[in-house]
Order: sequence, then structure tokens, then C-alpha cells
Amino acid sequence: MAEDKPDVGRLVDEAAKALGLPIADQYRANVIVNYERSLAIARPLLEVDLDDELTPAPVFRP
Amino acid sequence: MNDPLSKRATATEIAGAVMSGKAKALAVVDAALARIKAAEPTFNAFTDIVAERARIRAVEIDRGLHRGPMLGVPFAVKNLFDIKGLPTLAGSKINQDGPIAARDGSLVRKLEAAGAILVGGLNMGEYAYDFTGENAHYGPSRNPRDPSRMTGGSSGGSGAAVAAGEVPIALGSDTNGSIRVPASLCGLFGLKPTYGRLSRAGTYPFVDAFDHLGPLARSVDDLALSFDAMQGWDPDDPVCTDRPAEPTLPALLEGINGLRIAIAGDYFERGAQPEALEAVATVAKALGATRKITIPEAAAARSAAYVITAIEGGQLHLPRLKSRPQDFDPDTRERFMAGALLPGAWYVKAQRFRRRYRANVQKLFGEVDIILAPATPCTAPNLGQVMMTLGGAELPVRANLGLFTQPISFIGLPVVVAPLQRPGGLPIGVQIIANHYNEAAALRVARALEKQGVASAPPA
Repeated sequence: MAEDKPDVGRLVDEAAKALGLPIADQYRANVIVNYERSLAIARPLLEVDLDDELTPAPVFRP
Repeated sequence: MNDPLSKRATATEIAGAVMSGKAKALAVVDAALARIKAAEPTFNAFTDIVAERARIRAVEIDRGLHRGPMLGVPFAVKNLFDIKGLPTLAGSKINQDGPIAARDGSLVRKLEAAGAILVGGLNMGEYAYDFTGENAHYGPSRNPRDPSRMTGGSSGGSGAAVAAGEVPIALGSDTNGSIRVPASLCGLFGLKPTYGRLSRAGTYPFVDAFDHLGPLARSVDDLALSFDAMQGWDPDDPVCTDRPAEPTLPALLEGINGLRIAIAGDYFERGAQPEALEAVATVAKALGATRKITIPEAAAARSAAYVITAIEGGQLHLPRLKSRPQDFDPDTRERFMAGALLPGAWYVKAQRFRRRYRANVQKLFGEVDIILAPATPCTAPNLGQVMMTLGGAELPVRANLGLFTQPISFIGLPVVVAPLQRPGGLPIGVQIIANHYNEAAALRVARALEKQGVASAPPA
């Protein structure tokens, strides 16, 4: 099945509205480029399976 | 023994000379200020020089009013450290309008309490969201090994100032590699300590989950000397450990006997240019290390570090992205904006994954004491270079210089970068990674490499 790719332009526009972050026209294209780059870089994390018991440590101790 | 007034002098040599009366602190500081004046038009390492303050302190030292193991040592700090009387720029234009620091950052005070003398604030990538050392507001810091090249960042001025011999020691910050990348590209020793080991109080934050501070220097002794002076609990940083300080300088005499050293394979061998892998092989050979291990899920760790960074950074700067977007560096603005919009589910997953990854890597440290890995996938790119070829793929320079540092700082492991000078070529560093709170082991290995002449950091 072909992967459903998100419409990143629309995603950025709507998320920015929800967050109250105005993005001027001259910045918008590069915000989209960076969002798409983030989708690619996040992929290895998104593909990981985690047990439900694995909670984030409330205080991170190295 | 180098002349304590020369650019080759290490902090250890300067302190020895000042303590024994062979050199005056004022002469040391004046020599450093003269070098800075001569070097700055080329390297652009400094954004602020506090000459008067430094001279006053030096005169006090020469009058016997201060003592300490770093007596008379000039140092400088990345301009995200508070310097009393100055705005804490963090590489930004916006913070020029920000509050004036009422006192120095915690580590600045600790180094001065040890007798060192602050001479200035250093250039950096805006708000530390940077691996290049470039900055649209203040100009790029330039690599003393080749001024047409990047220093690496975001502690770019810290790398330039020490590699040019302007100061023997500089402090930087490292969230995803911002000490280790410039140490590698400028050919310096660098220490990113365990997360929480050194206080971050009085510095401008970036990503609280991963922000670390540490020194860059031209000798391992100097890393240990300054690290020891900066250790200790600080109530002003909620993350700072209350473990007692453990001096590392005496441990340097122990050598590397008994240390189990392995090479990181798999992820850390992919996407690197040959010189990065050759540097690891050279170091491994010098240490007699042959065992290869796999850090499990390193690619997901890098991915998770990226996600946490983008989202925390975007969230931190959201008020300024709304009110003053035009005043950001164009190279950070849209990355921060995109980060602010990423799904919260990614952030929580990254934090949950971090717990598992940390547990798995700690298991590895039951079998080995030290893991070797490249610090950067390549030597210094050209200033302004946007794309580079890694493992046959065209990738953005900005996102990928930290490919090998991100999975390590993600769980706060201590790392020393050992620099290999390459005759006729540019330097490159190797990460010496130890288990939490075992900075001493990483420093001992770096010292062994320095002693053998494998790693070195002469001023350019």
C-alpha cells in the first residue's frame, strides 16, 4: 500500500494557527522544508516499538 | 616548557609560572590581550573583550590577593555564559536588548575562584542551534587551521580562540555536540562531562534535557585542571549532581592499564568520510583496542535527540518567534519555527525511548570501560557550505555534523575528544566515551594518546 504522505504545507499552516504563531510568507517555504526534514530524521524513532510499561523518567538521571 | 607569555603556553604551564613567581599575571593577561587584538580580524572568535576587568584581576593576583590551581590563566567563555555587566547574547541579536547580567555564570565564578582570569565572551551559533560556527549577526568564527573553513559549532568562537592560541582554555556548551564538533574541526581537546556534573546556572539555555557545559583546551592536563576546578554541587541548577567532586587530575598518572576499550561499530561506521574512520583506527591501534561493539538503536537515539531538541528549542523561543521573527538568524529561524510545530507525541516517545536506550548502553559498560567513535563525519567544511556527501548521500551540513555526537549526549555520557592533526590536511577528532561519572577514564585515555604523540593540539 502506498504511504499516505501528509500535506506538510497545510499541516504547517494549521499547526501554526493552533499555536498562534504567525509565519510570514517569506519564511513559510523554508519552515515546510525543515518540517519535511524533521519527518525524515524522526523516522527511526517513530519506527521503534515501546512497551507500555516504559514510561519517561520524571527526572532524568544519567 | 613553553614561555608562559607565548601562544603555545598551556594553562598548566601558565599557572605554574605565576604561582612560582616566574611570570606576573598582568604580563600573561597583557600578552593574551595583544594576541587577541592581532588574531581577531582573521578568526572572529570574540564578541566581547573585558580587558579592564582582566587587568584589575591580574593586578590583584600579582598583589597576592587570590590563589588557586589556575592562577593567572586567561580564559574566555561562549557568550551564552553570563558575564557581569553585559547582556547574555547566546549568539543572538535579540538578546542585545535583554537583561544585563547581574553576576557571572556559576562556572565563570568557579574558574576565577581557582585563580583564572576571564578575558572575554566568544562568538557562537545563534541560541546554540548550530553545528557550523556561522552567525548572521556577528559573522562566522573562522577555523585557525584554515580560515576559509568552518570552526564547527555552536561553540565556534571557543574553538577558534583556543586553536589560534588567543587563550589556553575556553568554555563552551554541548547539547548535541557543540563542544565536540568544534574540538574535532579545530583540532582541540574537548570535554563534555556527564549530564548534570557541572552547574549550568547563569547560562542561557537551549534544550534543558541535554544542555552540558565544558572546556576546550590544547592539553589533557588543562581539561582535567579546569574540570576539577568547576566540579561541585550548585543549588542554582536543579539538574546539578550532589555527588562529591572527584578530582581527575591525579588519575591522569594512572595510565590506561586495566581499561577495557572498544570501538563503536555499525551506526558509527556508516556515513563517515574515510578520514573519520581512519582517525578511529589510528587511535584504536595506539591503544591496542581491537574489540568492536554495537551501541544498540543508535540511529533511533540520534533521531530522538533531534526531536527533543527541535521541540524544546522551538518551544523555548516561541515568544520571540511570534514577536521578533525578523531579528533571528535566517539559519535558525525557520528551524525553530518548524520545531515549535512538531507533534507532542514525538517528544513523549523520544523521552520514553531514552529510558530504554540508556539502560541498554549502561549494560554495555558492564563489558567495556571506554567506547571509541568518530567525533565528526568529516573534517571542517568550507564556510557557507550547505550540503556535503556522506556515505554516498547528499546531506545538509547543519543537520549532519553532529551525526555521531548526538546519540551520546542524548543520555549524558561523558566524552573527551582527542584531536588528530593530519599533516597537509585538516584535523579531526575521536570521541572517547566513558560511563556516567567516569570522566577520569576518558581523560586517562586521551592522556595516553597525547603522550604517544597520536593526539595533539598545537596552536595554529
